[in-house]
Amino acid sequence: MHARVLVVLAMRNLRRQLRRTLLTASAMIIGGGLLIFSLSFGDGSHEQWIDSGVRLGTGHVTVERPEFRLRRRIDDRLPAEVRRTVEQAFASPEIAPFVVATSSKLSINGLASSAAGARPAQIMAVDPVQESAFGMLDEQVAEGRYLEPDDRLAAYVGAEMVESLELRLGSRFVVQAQDADGEIAGQLLRVVGTFRSGVPEVDLSMIHIPLATAGEWLGSEEDVTNVGVLLNGSAATARVADRLERVLADPVARGEARVMRWRDADPALAAAVAIDDFGNYLVQAFLFIIIAFGIVNTVLMSVMHRHREFGVLQALGLTPGQTGTVVLIEGFTLTVISGFLGVGIGMLCTWYFLGDGLDLTAMMENLDEMTFSGVAVDPVIVPLFTARRIVQVLVFILVVGAMASIYPALRASRIDVTEAMKFDR
Amino acid sequence: MKESPWPRIGWRNLGRNRKRTVLTALGLGVGYFACVFVVGWSEGIMAELVENATSLVTGQIEIHDAEYRPDRSLYDTIGGREGADVAALLNAIDADEAVVAAAPRVYAGGLVSSGEATSAGMFLGVDPEREVALTRFLDSLVAGALPVAGRYELVIGEEMGRQLSVGVGDELVLVGSGADGSMANDLYTVAGIYRTGLVEFDASTVVMPIGDLQELVVLGPDRIHEIAVATAQPDLAADAARRLSGVLEAPARPIVVASWAELNPVLAEYVALAESFYWIIIVIVFTVAAFGIANTMLMATFERRREFAVMLALGSTPRAVMGIVVSEALAIGAVSLAGSAAVTFPLMVWLYNAPPSLEWLYGNVTLQGALLTPTLRVGYNVPAWTWASVGLLVTALLSALYPAARAARIPPADTLSGL
Repeated sequence: MHARVLVVLAMRNLRRQLRRTLLTASAMIIGGGLLIFSLSFGDGSHEQWIDSGVRLGTGHVTVERPEFRLRRRIDDRLPAEVRRTVEQAFASPEIAPFVVATSSKLSINGLASSAAGARPAQIMAVDPVQESAFGMLDEQVAEGRYLEPDDRLAAYVGAEMVESLELRLGSRFVVQAQDADGEIAGQLLRVVGTFRSGVPEVDLSMIHIPLATAGEWLGSEEDVTNVGVLLNGSAATARVADRLERVLADPVARGEARVMRWRDADPALAAAVAIDDFGNYLVQAFLFIIIAFGIVNTVLMSVMHRHREFGVLQALGLTPGQTGTVVLIEGFTLTVISGFLGVGIGMLCTWYFLGDGLDLTAMMENLDEMTFSGVAVDPVIVPLFTARRIVQVLVFILVVGAMASIYPALRASRIDVTEAMKFDR
Repeated sequence: MKESPWPRIGWRNLGRNRKRTVLTALGLGVGYFACVFVVGWSEGIMAELVENATSLVTGQIEIHDAEYRPDRSLYDTIGGREGADVAALLNAIDADEAVVAAAPRVYAGGLVSSGEATSAGMFLGVDPEREVALTRFLDSLVAGALPVAGRYELVIGEEMGRQLSVGVGDELVLVGSGADGSMANDLYTVAGIYRTGLVEFDASTVVMPIGDLQELVVLGPDRIHEIAVATAQPDLAADAARRLSGVLEAPARPIVVASWAELNPVLAEYVALAESFYWIIIVIVFTVAAFGIANTMLMATFERRREFAVMLALGSTPRAVMGIVVSEALAIGAVSLAGSAAVTFPLMVWLYNAPPSLEWLYGNVTLQGALLTPTLRVGYNVPAWTWASVGLLVTALLSALYPAARAARIPPADTLSGL
């Protein structure tokens, strides 16, 4: 028996029972649509979290000394040779196409004090031009301006720290930290600008100063603790990190450098993405279990209903295997067509929001200031399609469809021919 | 009047095609389980967030001088420069029915140095005995013991210990500025190491007896920045805060009593918002389930065309046929509800009492500064679960309406004649 005949038989049956087919299909269409819709928005918001997290921090991939992350000491500066190698690698044709911006900075902990009190501060010494392309803080000015290339003794300070130290634009304050010789060194700075990032911890502790100022203050000259790169999407992280690890094989082996992916550099952010994905997967899994039950039920009932038909088919020479295959094809085709249709509709609905994003401000009301693992949650979500995700969804739908058709197919193959044909209705 | 026979016939019909009944009931049951589980899990997350936001390192209620927040200046102690009668305040707070613990605190900023390494720190002065009753972070130390007043001892976070490479028994120099404008510094011994899981906090906060910190920063014993208060339940905090603000007063300056919802309004609002998500989940799950049920019901009525035709021919009204189909659906709903509840609720109780770890999946997360640990902990939300039950029955009922209407319109003569 030709496979084509089996397919024709299956298709014909789907067409004959149009209403049943449509009802079963609609559950699958809704499910597939919801799946692609919620995953695209999930992926989109995660990409936004990652983007704002790595811009505040050290980039999608950063190179630093292995001890730096543990202790954040001034001693953990990158050797000049490593820094040069990394900066050359960023410009290489293997990595350059993914690079949006790079930033070399000196990041240390210190104490900021004024007449009103003292606060722990996270001091980032940056190249103003490089950093304004890399981070977002320069756009989140509350008062004044961001650092400029000629600035000396200037500081760009979080708005809440400015408040808590009772500072104003233009007022002076002192930062203290351990210098390159291990002594505690103080430095007088002037507030040239303040920012509000939306993350209270950052607004309360972050200070940006020019790299040159830090060099004089701490005796660290041009040295930096991190060289980070901002990529055009988190998907390129692994490729860029692998490439850097190859280029830096020697210093890494000597323990002078380490390539950090954003997941390792910011485990809380990675966890936030994981928990959000987990919740989403869980709800989707439940939905598809329900849909699968619907499909099993429909296909199984159609098998019962067509007891006689299958009896006749087998009497005419179809093997039990072939009878089962007809049912399998039927269920599979139903799920595939409706699943693809659902995914298509879901993509269309999502497409609509691709430009401006879905603005949840109204729903979130005062929640537009919420932070999740140290990242401000943007109430405007721009969905993200990735080929990988769409393939994943389609494969998932196929698997569900195939699984749901197995049992009814088995039943159809086990029909007793004589019993099935014995009684007329 | 005689009881209507249709529910009984509907019930009996379930047994006629057991496989179909079981599959349909399973579809509904999984939907019900999904709703209850997702709502419970979300409830558990909210409960943990609120708990950690209110009992890990802070209380459900905080009492400050009116000027203290948001600047948190060293000088804005309760009662201003004159200070306040701390013991009397604590007594007044302890007297409130909802309060289970209250503890005074002093804050100051400064540098912490281990000799070779220096880091910036927040100094937190606490009354160790009262603090243990109030918050959880000092309850079980990673190493060492709580500091004893007057012996220049302190406890530091695990992260700070790592950054400064110090452990229990090592010495640290604290440098800060005193309230009198002097440079304050002294040598202390690390008595213990704590861990909250909040990395920033663990890296920067040095905890020491309140008297020792007051001495370091030159504040008198009656000058404190904060009284943190714990209530038995987070939801008692708002009322207790209102009562306390009526009772408490400092001689010179106004006192502000704020509950956690006022201190962290974004978190409070997020928790409130979660409730509306439960609705969305219930609606989506049962909409999808409805298609499956409607389909099965429709096919079942189609298959039993002859049966309904016989009933109609024997004198049943179309309404009675509808009644049978609808009561069958309701019976399936009831069976499925009973079955899934029997599986779901023991599981919920288990997850509530012994939540399994999800560490393999993700690490610690913070939401609006509140710590969330990776456990699959659920919370009870009886109203939402009740709505899920109602949703299940309504779904069963609604998806039976169209098939029932179809069944009632079967032409008896044509059907019986085999057309």
